[in-house]
Amino acid sequence: MNFWLLLTINSITFGGLLFLLSSGFSLIFGLMRIPNLTHGSMFMVGAYLGSTFLSGALGFTSDFWVAAILSAIEVAVLGALMERLLLRRLTGQPLAQVLVTLGVSLMVADLCLMGWGGDPISVETPAGLGGFVRAGPAVFPLYRMAIIVIAVVFAIALWLLLERTRLGAMIRAGVDDPQMARVVGIRVSQLFTIVFGLGAGLAGFAGMIGAPILSIYPGLDQDMLPLALVVVILGGTGSLLGSFVGSILIGFIYNFGQALLPELAYFVLFLPMVIVLVVRPQGLFGGQVL
Amino acid sequence: MANSALVLSGIDAYYGDSHVLQKVSFELGEGRLLGLLGRNGAGKSTCMNVSVGLLPPRAGVVEVFGTPVTRLPPEQIAARGVALVPQGRRVFKSLTVRENLIVAARDKDAATRHANWNAATVFAMFPRLAERANQLSAHLSGGEQQMLAIGRALMANPRVLLMDEPSEGLAPQIVAEVMTTIRKLKESGLSIVLVEQSPKLVFDIADDIVILNSGRVAVVSTAAALKNDGVDLRQHLGVF
Ligand SMILES: Nc1ncnc2c1ncn2[C@@H]1O[C@H](COP(=O)(O)OP(=O)(O)O)[C@@H](O)[C@H]1O
Ligand SMILES: [Mg+2]
Repeated sequence: MNFWLLLTINSITFGGLLFLLSSGFSLIFGLMRIPNLTHGSMFMVGAYLGSTFLSGALGFTSDFWVAAILSAIEVAVLGALMERLLLRRLTGQPLAQVLVTLGVSLMVADLCLMGWGGDPISVETPAGLGGFVRAGPAVFPLYRMAIIVIAVVFAIALWLLLERTRLGAMIRAGVDDPQMARVVGIRVSQLFTIVFGLGAGLAGFAGMIGAPILSIYPGLDQDMLPLALVVVILGGTGSLLGSFVGSILIGFIYNFGQALLPELAYFVLFLPMVIVLVVRPQGLFGGQVL
Repeated sequence: MANSALVLSGIDAYYGDSHVLQKVSFELGEGRLLGLLGRNGAGKSTCMNVSVGLLPPRAGVVEVFGTPVTRLPPEQIAARGVALVPQGRRVFKSLTVRENLIVAARDKDAATRHANWNAATVFAMFPRLAERANQLSAHLSGGEQQMLAIGRALMANPRVLLMDEPSEGLAPQIVAEVMTTIRKLKESGLSIVLVEQSPKLVFDIADDIVILNSGRVAVVSTAAALKNDGVDLRQHLGVF
């Protein structure tokens, strides 16, 4: 198996996962103007919940995809509740909101440790996707190809939602000019709840989809959050196209960095973020939600 | 006055510690057009911000058709029939022309409908917007953006229309078009506040005039009386 080809596939796969994680993070950032520091927790909780569904412990399913969808819905509800019950009370105080998300993320980490213990949980590749496809001399791991397909499907679905529906236009209006959006009668606070729930659900889904590759362990949340942050800073907040390009870019930088310069992996990862922040603080695609 | 569309009474408004409006009171009669004049920095836009709920006043009351709306959030004031064409137009740049209109359409609440504006009627009024319906509004000229901002405000079928310097930065013939539009809206019975720095544009079209000077109301009059009196307005408005 060609080392470079595998590295490339892994990079794109990881980019796909990052897109599922960061598209919601980016929308929340664009609309509410705060980085949601629980976003990594949503990813981790989605994975833990999914593994519990998958184990059949709750009695109704042992299908991977059903488990992933159920946990995504649950995490979406948790995200929407958090927005309604906590962040809503701190409207107009962005610093307090960020600190609340930080606090909640630390609390969630403790709860997960209590609930699922400290040992990593591995999740098996879903049935039928454990193999490889061969194309001449090249070999493609099926499950990773599936992740790429899923990410592309979600990217298209999100694009349609944002670009082709009235709700999507309202969200973009809120990202553009939240004050004017309210003045023309858009209930921006309802959009906050919707976008927060949607973003959380996507992160939770990504957690479960990523579990067969990354496994699930305490600290997974804090491993993923900075990646979402880098993607969004590269791509620009509130920009779907930005998250997509940023995710693939970071997928490559992360995987190639780990393979070639493992001791400098974080340096390689965060250097582009620092450069973009200094040179082009609105991000590569900032200001547009495409 | 029983038939007041919009009343500001005793408004004190601050940005942080700076006291920008001091005991500002005026009222817009139903179906009338009030010209709100004043130099740059006099507090005209602040009056608009207070009226639409963007800047809750520290003291005073805002009423829309007799109902107090003071300190309601902007979306609820919008639902009570107040629409703003803001200074600088502030169209949603990442939305197309059509999207700018449809996001501002109000869900059907027949009780507060006072006209029948929708995307089709707005496009009929501004054919140039119709031609550009699917373009991003960021690509419109200043005049087209102004028309879009007016159309967007109309989409909610408002009872009170606030227009903050709609002529700013536009070529003379476009200004004339905008004034013609405002005249039509007034004739349709809409109650309008028209903010301008220059009285020339406003005196012909306005019923009433309010002049702000340094955050206070300096003059309240009918337009006719001001014109006939030949009052020296320069002390309030500068040279014009
Ligand atoms: N967002 C703001 N923060 C602080 N001060 C402001 C703000 N907006 C306006 N001001 C100040 O309030 C005063 C009135 O401004 P404004 O209402 O915009 O005047 P006008 O519309 O008549 O030109 C000015 O002195 C201006 O500098
Ligand atoms: Mg102004």
